Amino acid sequence: MECPHIPIIPHRKFSKRIYNKAVSERIPLAGEIELTFRCNLKCAHCYVVYELKKKEMTYKEICHILDEITEAGCLWFLITGGEPLVRDDFLDIYTYAKKKGLIITLFTNGTLITPQIADYLRDWPPFAVEITLYGITKQTYERVTGVPGSFDHCMEGIHLLLERNIPLKLKTMVMTLNQNELWDIKKYAEDLGVQFTFDPILTPKIDGSKEPCRLRIPPEEVVKLDLADEGRLKEWKEFCQELWGPAKSDKLFVCGAGQTSFHINPYGQLAICGMSRNPSYDLRQGSFQDGWYDFIPKIRKQKPKTDYKCAKCDLLSLCGQCPGWAKLENNNPETPIEYLCQIAHLRAKAFGPKEKSQTKKREELYIA
Amino acid sequence: MKRNIGREKVNYLERCYQKNPDIVSRKIADECILVPIRQNVGDLESIYTLNEVATRIWELIDGKRKVKEIKDKIVEEFEVTPEEAEKDLTDLLQKLEEIKGIKEV
Repeated sequence: MECPHIPIIPHRKFSKRIYNKAVSERIPLAGEIELTFRCNLKCAHCYVVYELKKKEMTYKEICHILDEITEAGCLWFLITGGEPLVRDDFLDIYTYAKKKGLIITLFTNGTLITPQIADYLRDWPPFAVEITLYGITKQTYERVTGVPGSFDHCMEGIHLLLERNIPLKLKTMVMTLNQNELWDIKKYAEDLGVQFTFDPILTPKIDGSKEPCRLRIPPEEVVKLDLADEGRLKEWKEFCQELWGPAKSDKLFVCGAGQTSFHINPYGQLAICGMSRNPSYDLRQGSFQDGWYDFIPKIRKQKPKTDYKCAKCDLLSLCGQCPGWAKLENNNPETPIEYLCQIAHLRAKAFGPKEKSQTKKREELYIA
Repeated sequence: MKRNIGREKVNYLERCYQKNPDIVSRKIADECILVPIRQNVGDLESIYTLNEVATRIWELIDGKRKVKEIKDKIVEEFEVTPEEAEKDLTDLLQKLEEIKGIKEV
């Protein structure tokens, strides 16, 4: 029986319902934390730069931050890395976050999942575990990860979770090293009855090194993948019909980063997102409250210092041009990222509307 | 399973409930929600939102107050008749028991 006093609604619907209020009151609804930059794999495309000299936050420091973010209204919380399971205290941190009432998604490479960890996740279920599967053969997978034996461990991790009905999603990063296996990975996921997504666009490392970009597939190939995937094709067509036109905001950041969402790295640096890590606020020196209500809004208020070409572009919504990414790629937050620009123009040609009058407001893009 | 409230009415009002620690209540953007954190508690795919009366009832469930005391508080604080309050209360407690949000002390 449905009780009228306790309506049960899906997450997405609830998110939409409170979104406007969250924006106006600056509620940090969605957060993410990198527990560590360490990882047991050595992926060729990885954007992480492990800094040996910096000291990761302790369990106690992380718990303090979890107290602060829940107090401020955080509900959806992503735990990622590096590989979060390399931390000996991972389950302690995870349990603390669960007990705070955070709805947790866990990003992991899956290779360190043991029967004990899987049992624990069954008893304390996350909203979702997302594993990146870099190939469907040992050869391709390990060509990406650089670690012999990692493919078998990943497969084992996937099955340990599935056997316990833990909500699992599979995904992959598409690059020159594994693009030939993309559709086989997708089929494998579908045969398992698991949701699958892929991302064909690699980013530079967080220190600006463009090493991962060498593995990018050409823009034409990216759009071919969109066209070859029924779900993506439909999504892109709908997206292009609805969202067209230049930025409505005169700010540098026209996305939703830092509006109701935030990012924290393993050293306690708070930033508006994982792509725009600088400037950041040191949570070891100050409170989340100060960082969220004083520091982050200043970043969002920044205006372009130059004649920012991308803000006037009709294809901005399709493009994913991001000041943080542009800073990494071009050392200038206002310079177009050529690779994204090419892909956006090809996508516009492939999926764009004939009539530009069918557009909707850009703001609608950013509903969490 | 639906209770036979009429038959059990007296007993029911004498009952006392406590919250299950495996479900956490959160107040976000003025909405009170319940977040299940353990296996077999609630539905992880969904969010349980509480309306104003339900939020107050949830606050009043403390493992000590009897249902009838909670009912009296609701009648006192909201514009409802004792009959309406009792119905609201029984509906809600039944649902909360169903999702294992509370259990009888």
